Amino acid sequence: MIRKVLKPLASLRLTVVLFALSIFLVLAGTLAQVRQGIWTVVDQYFRSVFVTIDLQIFVPEKIANIGFAIIFPGGLTLGIALAINLIAAHAVRFKLKAKRMGIIITHLGVILLLVGEFVTGFAAQEGNMTIREGETSQFVEDVRSSELAVIDKSDPKDDLVVVIPDRILSSRKEPISHSLLPFTIKVTEWMHNSTILGPNQDQGSRKGLVDSGAAIEYAAVPMPRATGVDGANVDAPSAYVTVYKGEQPIGTYIVSAYIDQLQAVVVDGRTYWMELRFKRTYKPYSVHLIDFKHDKFTGTQMARNYSSQIRLVDKGRNVDREVLIYMNHPLRHAGETFYQASFLQGDTGTVLQVVQNPGWLIPYVSCSMVTLGMLLHFGIRLVPALRRRA
Amino acid sequence: MKLVLRYLPWISLVLALVYVGERLARTESFDGQYDLRAFSQLPVSADGRTKPLDTVARNNLMVLSGRQSIRTDDGRISAIQWYIELVTKPKDSVQRRVFRIDHPDVLALLGLDDEKRTRFSFAELRVAGEEISRQARMADQIKPKARDPFQRAVLVLYQRLSLFSNLSQIQKPYLVPPLTTSKEWRSIITALNENPNDPDAQMMMQMLEAYNQDNAESFNTNLAKYTEAIDQIIPYDARKARYEVLFNQAQPFYTAAVVYVVAFLIGCFGLLLSQLSKPTWSKSLLGSMTSLILVALVVQTIGIAARIYLQGRPPVTNLYSSAVFIGWFGVIIGLVVDRQMKLGLGGIMASVIGFGTLVIAHNLGGSGDTMGMMQAVLDSNFWLTTHVVVITIGYSATFFAGFMGVSYVLLGVFTPVLDRERGKSLIKMVYGVICFATVTSFVGTVLGGIWADQSWGRFWGWDAKENGAALIVLINLLILHARWGGMVRDRGLVVLAISGNIVTAWSWFGTNMLGVGLHSYGFTQSAMFWLSMFMLSQLVLMSIGMLPMSIWRSKFAKPAPLKNIPEQAG
Repeated sequence: MIRKVLKPLASLRLTVVLFALSIFLVLAGTLAQVRQGIWTVVDQYFRSVFVTIDLQIFVPEKIANIGFAIIFPGGLTLGIALAINLIAAHAVRFKLKAKRMGIIITHLGVILLLVGEFVTGFAAQEGNMTIREGETSQFVEDVRSSELAVIDKSDPKDDLVVVIPDRILSSRKEPISHSLLPFTIKVTEWMHNSTILGPNQDQGSRKGLVDSGAAIEYAAVPMPRATGVDGANVDAPSAYVTVYKGEQPIGTYIVSAYIDQLQAVVVDGRTYWMELRFKRTYKPYSVHLIDFKHDKFTGTQMARNYSSQIRLVDKGRNVDREVLIYMNHPLRHAGETFYQASFLQGDTGTVLQVVQNPGWLIPYVSCSMVTLGMLLHFGIRLVPALRRRA
Repeated sequence: MKLVLRYLPWISLVLALVYVGERLARTESFDGQYDLRAFSQLPVSADGRTKPLDTVARNNLMVLSGRQSIRTDDGRISAIQWYIELVTKPKDSVQRRVFRIDHPDVLALLGLDDEKRTRFSFAELRVAGEEISRQARMADQIKPKARDPFQRAVLVLYQRLSLFSNLSQIQKPYLVPPLTTSKEWRSIITALNENPNDPDAQMMMQMLEAYNQDNAESFNTNLAKYTEAIDQIIPYDARKARYEVLFNQAQPFYTAAVVYVVAFLIGCFGLLLSQLSKPTWSKSLLGSMTSLILVALVVQTIGIAARIYLQGRPPVTNLYSSAVFIGWFGVIIGLVVDRQMKLGLGGIMASVIGFGTLVIAHNLGGSGDTMGMMQAVLDSNFWLTTHVVVITIGYSATFFAGFMGVSYVLLGVFTPVLDRERGKSLIKMVYGVICFATVTSFVGTVLGGIWADQSWGRFWGWDAKENGAALIVLINLLILHARWGGMVRDRGLVVLAISGNIVTAWSWFGTNMLGVGLHSYGFTQSAMFWLSMFMLSQLVLMSIGMLPMSIWRSKFAKPAPLKNIPEQAG
């Protein structure tokens, strides 16, 4: 009975169809990166159940305008389908024979590989740690999301911080309130990516919208989302926000990733500081940048090496040591890995990428299994076949 | 006659070795009293790499004129001669016709469209200098992809003119070696600005001044002194520069390409004769082909080994060297297949792939240094050796299977050559190579993932090139599973194998042209055109392969039975 159900699921025809669909999906997901940011593409194409593929990505606009899209199974669907197909095939045709060992090991490895990508997709966290030379950082920024922080510095010992994530900033139409704040914040316009226009630039209808804070006379305008995998292409969000005391507007501000300084909001004689920043996660350890080096090839601007000499302090784990992080030589600490990712202008500081991926070891294991299995299989099957020579 | 036929492969081997030996040992001859040979071997620093002046001169002349020497009415001028004239005798050098201009509108703009030549001198172009700058400025404001051919041509000309003036002002390359006063390579101007009597810079200056004043004796004495100094203080750089000059002159890849072509012609002839029932002739010619391919392969191997030594890097570091390496490995697969199949087909494919990839490499390396330095993140010999070499072998094997598919279709449809026996053995080879390609492309992709995990903590980032590699693995898996499931037989297998060519070409070049991702190096407009043409041609071949069996000229008695193929998997 079970066999009857499994049989169609185990078919090799289904395998081939799934491979063909995967090839199309991967190709589409590659071409889509020309227009969309890689993370958008990864979420839409490879970690989704279904994806709407705009067929324009296959044809340059110069040649033809195609206003047509198709619904296609996403990476999650195809991955799960392949796994089911594979497991069913082994269930139906399971024979533990020496000469089938290769295939079995390979396929177990493949299943593990799919699981690994699944774990990475849902559990891995990436962030950046930007540190200037001589300074210390305790938090990681996620440049793919942002937050509006409102800081009350009146307590000399600890700051009180209220954080509003971009998820709410971009969707909430009504004013946002919080029990710790005596005022509400209404987002009048949210921009995932933006640029700032100065007083001398043509601001059009946006001129004079701001009456408070650091960006009076400035204007923020939306920009298309950044494309590509390159770390340099990061969305810089901005927003127009108006602060209300009850029904009474207090001021309209631009908050933006471009504005480094904190902006003051004074309510009832008390000052709060407001800042739109990349989403922060505070860590139980601190990293102090001793020295950042950026070597170039003689007579060129081409980078030879980047390296960061850091001091890592983690009191909870009794760690206090100096480490050199450089290209292809990351630091692994407390389940996280620190990579040399970028640097600040003028080589004054470093940007470390901090990755936490509980499944980081899975691909290593699974790929070794697949490789071993394939070598075994083809070794067992192919060598005698060639020796027989038709 | 019989004896001749029997020993023909050996005779070919000897002849080929003689030709190759003569080519490799050939050195450029310089007449005149100046010791330009020694001068061309002097190490300098350019683009972050220490290399001989010979390379600098050749590469720059190549960029300007598309040739490594100048042809004049009075004979040939070598690259190094052109270079030293450029830096010492500007009055002469501006008269040399080194700027290649093809675009008719650019020629018209310069008022040179009546001339029946394509190379012009700086003096001829200087007249229209203002106009060229104006046009270049306008073209520069257009996005690269939106420029029309005229705008591209004008920009190229403008860049070449600036290159010419930069070279003549000796800002680059850095000519002053780290001998006594500094630990870094410096330009002459920097060195003399720091100290007008800087001994290291003075040595070079005296040499150049001697040339300027037509004083050969002083030039040669200074050169000898200079050579002695660098031999003592930077012996490693000096020795390497000398080897590189030998490498430049030997041009092993050019020599190998010539031998591959001859091998191909002989092989085709041999295959033809096998149809005309001349088995002894055919066998003898096919044997000669194999000898020639072996010789060419050895020459290509020497070339690759020399590059490894000169660069201090594994064989594949950029698109140029990937083409050379893909070809190299393709030839090896071809020779293995040839041994297995005894049809001559493996050898013919080997020679086509060997020649074809060297031509592609020549076009990829057409301008500039093919041994440039690597970006910081790629600077890892371990991963370059493992990931890049293995994945390149995967490309190579997938291509090879694809081209065997092409030959199956072409021979099957248009000639009666493929009988059942031969068809079957060809199919077996395609199948075997695809199995090999699956393993290598998978392992190569995985090693790339491990490198990525090591360098930025992401095993798989869905980057364009990573996806391209995954596509190769997927297409190979698709072919194998379709075969195991009995969905395709012989014809279907080869048609699918040809589609592997499209996928591999996409992964090798196409992904670089998207302009996104870490791997987006080396975009060229014409490469895009050729890539599309190649893909199109493969689609045509696939359609030809699907024509009804009744119009195939090779008549297979019946489709090869499936029993010799490994049974269904799963």
